[in-house]
Amino acid sequence: MLEAIFLVVAQVTSLLAVSPFLVGLIRKVKARLQLRRGASVFQPYADLAKLFRKQPVISTTASWVFTATPYIVFASTLSAGLLVPTFISQTPMNFAGNIIALVYLLALGTFFLILAGLDAGSTFGGMGSSREAIVASLTEPAMILSIFAIALTNGSTNLSTIVQKTALLEGTVADPSPHLMALAALFIVALAETGRVPVDNPATHLELTMIHEAMVLEYSGRYLALLEWAAGLKLAVFLSLIANVFAPWGIATTVAPAAMMIGFLVYLAKTAALAVLIGVIECMFAKLRLFRVTDLLGVAFILGLLGLLFFYILRS
Amino acid sequence: MQVLSYSGSQLVDLCSALLLLTCFAIVAQRRLSACVDLFALQSAFLVMTAALVAYLTGNQHLYIAAALTGVIKVIIIPRVLKKVIDRLNVKRELVMYVNVPAGLLICGGLVMLAFFISQPIIPLGFLLTRDSLAIALAIVLIGFFTMIARQKAVTQLVGFLVLENGLFLGATAATYGMPLIVELGVFFDVLIATLIAGIYTNRLQDAFDSVDTNQLTVLKE
Repeated sequence: MLEAIFLVVAQVTSLLAVSPFLVGLIRKVKARLQLRRGASVFQPYADLAKLFRKQPVISTTASWVFTATPYIVFASTLSAGLLVPTFISQTPMNFAGNIIALVYLLALGTFFLILAGLDAGSTFGGMGSSREAIVASLTEPAMILSIFAIALTNGSTNLSTIVQKTALLEGTVADPSPHLMALAALFIVALAETGRVPVDNPATHLELTMIHEAMVLEYSGRYLALLEWAAGLKLAVFLSLIANVFAPWGIATTVAPAAMMIGFLVYLAKTAALAVLIGVIECMFAKLRLFRVTDLLGVAFILGLLGLLFFYILRS
Repeated sequence: MQVLSYSGSQLVDLCSALLLLTCFAIVAQRRLSACVDLFALQSAFLVMTAALVAYLTGNQHLYIAAALTGVIKVIIIPRVLKKVIDRLNVKRELVMYVNVPAGLLICGGLVMLAFFISQPIIPLGFLLTRDSLAIALAIVLIGFFTMIARQKAVTQLVGFLVLENGLFLGATAATYGMPLIVELGVFFDVLIATLIAGIYTNRLQDAFDSVDTNQLTVLKE
């Protein structure tokens, strides 16, 4: 019992603490690659602190959905984070749900964000919502298919079991081909879901390009802080998922303090490496036109499907 | 990181999976020169697969076939095609008979079809490459699809070459490669076919100021 409580507290604090750092790291990498000095990697913490102190302004036409959404998005993303192993292979909410619950907890947040974008009645919000709906409806099948490919190769939909099994293989993967396809699909999905460059540009407020920023345009003060933090959390959840499902080596498999210490450092290194990779991708690729996004997400869908097919084809 | 310890057949499977992946990349790619680059990459994976099978089975002639694939399909043919593309006034394909997401879905369907066709045969085989047969069949079908779905002569040619790669993989998977003399003949054929099609594409460009093969359906004085 005490151990379970400790795990929940440790995971919540580590996710909350690490996520702004990852966002800051991506910005820093981008800045350095563009020959700018860039803000410190800890700038997002200062931004969040500032936003929490500011008074929010709420449109008079907004309904309860508008004020409830930041809390729902934040809570659903955080509870999704509790289903993903971070530095220890046992997840705190192991009993409450599997990998499919994870997908739909994230989808719940997206759904309310779409509603909130429409709620304030601004044209930008509506446009952002409509675009987010396109992207979300295309990423979901790709994500589910790649997740099924992973679940099939490991014989379980429980993330703890999957990670534990792969971690104990020590450097090998049971079924390399389906894993590779699922990894590629999930990476594209992660870029799309967290609003990164080939799909959305998090650094701009240009009306033609924004998706996520358009939906949260009406928010200010602590509501904006919660939404920004939730966006960071979503990034952390996806990076943890990719790092731990496909390369869980070094993760703590027992609750021993030494193993957990190593697990945490390895977790930081792995997610930071993925964040650097995303930063590099943001510099190398231009944002896709909105109607070309379907091509990219079509590729992700097919990759997930191939992963699933390979499990059956290559079963020697 | 630990030393990887995969069985040989898993590595062959992984290589052929990568071959199939490049097929999908070609279907999704609109830029002509990128299509050619992807074909070269696919051929490089084919070289890897053939060399791996040669190493695992000790069939010496497969090394020669792999080396020939490397020279002809990774170096010579892509260069010839790049030269052809340089002369063209079109760099990317904007209109396709089937748009990219639909094309990808159709190709996914083709992979399933190939899988179901080869499923009864595969358990009968005893070679360590037998699982690649379904993938080889899928690559052949996707090559056909590329030839049908694209309008430009260059991408149709890439479709033909992808089909040929599929056949080579199929031969390697089913029988550890054809006799060397047959393979030499096939390589020569492919090389000549590419050269002829390249010259033909240039003539097309000169005559119609376009490499759209649609124009050929109408007889002209």
